[in-house]
Amino acid sequence: MNKLEDQRKIYEDMDIPEELEMKVRESIKRVNKKNSIRITQKVAVAVIAIFLFFAGMVNLNQNFAIAMSELPIVGAVVQVISYHFDTVENENVNANIEVPVITGLTDEGLASELNAKYYEESQELYDDFMADMEEIIEMGGHLGVDSGYVVKTDTDDLLSIGRYVVNTVGSSSTTFQYDTIDKEAGVLITLPSLFKDERYVERISEYLILTMKEEMRIEDNKVYWVREDDFYTFETINLNQSFYITSEGKLVISFDKYEVAPGYMGVLTFEIPTEVIEDLLVSARYIK
Amino acid sequence: MLQQYLIENREAHYRMAFSYTKNKEDALDVVQDSIEKALRAYKRKDKPNHLKSWYYRILINTAIDCTRRNKRIVLMEQEKMAYFLEKEDQYMNFDLKTAMEKLPNAYKTIIVLRYFEDLKISDIAEILNENVNTIKTRLYKGLKILKIELKEDYNE
Repeated sequence: MNKLEDQRKIYEDMDIPEELEMKVRESIKRVNKKNSIRITQKVAVAVIAIFLFFAGMVNLNQNFAIAMSELPIVGAVVQVISYHFDTVENENVNANIEVPVITGLTDEGLASELNAKYYEESQELYDDFMADMEEIIEMGGHLGVDSGYVVKTDTDDLLSIGRYVVNTVGSSSTTFQYDTIDKEAGVLITLPSLFKDERYVERISEYLILTMKEEMRIEDNKVYWVREDDFYTFETINLNQSFYITSEGKLVISFDKYEVAPGYMGVLTFEIPTEVIEDLLVSARYIK
Repeated sequence: MLQQYLIENREAHYRMAFSYTKNKEDALDVVQDSIEKALRAYKRKDKPNHLKSWYYRILINTAIDCTRRNKRIVLMEQEKMAYFLEKEDQYMNFDLKTAMEKLPNAYKTIIVLRYFEDLKISDIAEILNENVNTIKTRLYKGLKILKIELKEDYNE
């Protein structure tokens, strides 16, 4: 009798959970999907023509009209109201998509551009969902998409809206995208626009890696992908990394689920102390 | 290619994850987290020469990270190591069935990779980021603990 063969057999006889295959396929599908959405989102911003279609839709929607009529008219105050895109629901599939609609911005052009982008992305999400539905039902899995928004900051000068998409294919993944608007000037604030040059990428990344390592050292239940010996580690933020600005004027960097840490850590945000980036800022107008 | 590899070898990957986490839920999480990491790394960097050992490095690192969360498992590992270091030369009356389970991960992983997943010693050294001699020593020790005597030459 060969003991090693016995051991091999015991090892190979280990119970394999039924859901393993589904989970593996779903994870692969999800990572692939994330990329395809990113690419189309860039294109979407340019397609302002969609807005005409959007305007028509919204006007026909009764809920939207009611919501509009209930808004107090107070000059140039920015209002964010939601427009319920569509809901599909049955046992294994559900979609719930809420689209933010910005009104009252002095710069009508910016508002309509953003609103058109939001609508276009929601439409895409919905189409994508419908396309996947049949396949998933066939596989016997669960498919869900839940999309909406949160107003992170709403001060006299700034409006930060975060739109999230929770994709549930077996287990869920979440992406967050923020838009921060200077209400007074009527401009969209991008991450590069806050800084003199691209040095901020390295500065912020270094700070984050140190912070993550320190948090892991202190707390056992925190894990970030910052092991030096691994093949996938968090090395740098993107030039246009997701971010928002708090009402106190602090920069907050956001990471999607699975971007820098295991799934159980969820969506992650890190407030960057202003002194870390102070010398690189264009001005102290937004970040204080 | 990577996607196909992940689907085809999912059970082996699950078993490896489970041997660290000792529970189903965490093992499934490790499998999913590893897929996320691998597919992202694959897009970002040069393609790996040897897919299997490349992926096992990711998988095992993810599994180790996962056990960090569960202090109990980590402590258990340390106690086991201490125990084996102490009682090295004494006869250990293991039930063969649970012998592998009781083996500390540092030894078990190497035996699994070498004899159950048919990887070369040099590949295992690469996966675990250790030198070849360390891997050989640990493999020998692991087999000794299991009271397995090899007719074949494990050095290959």
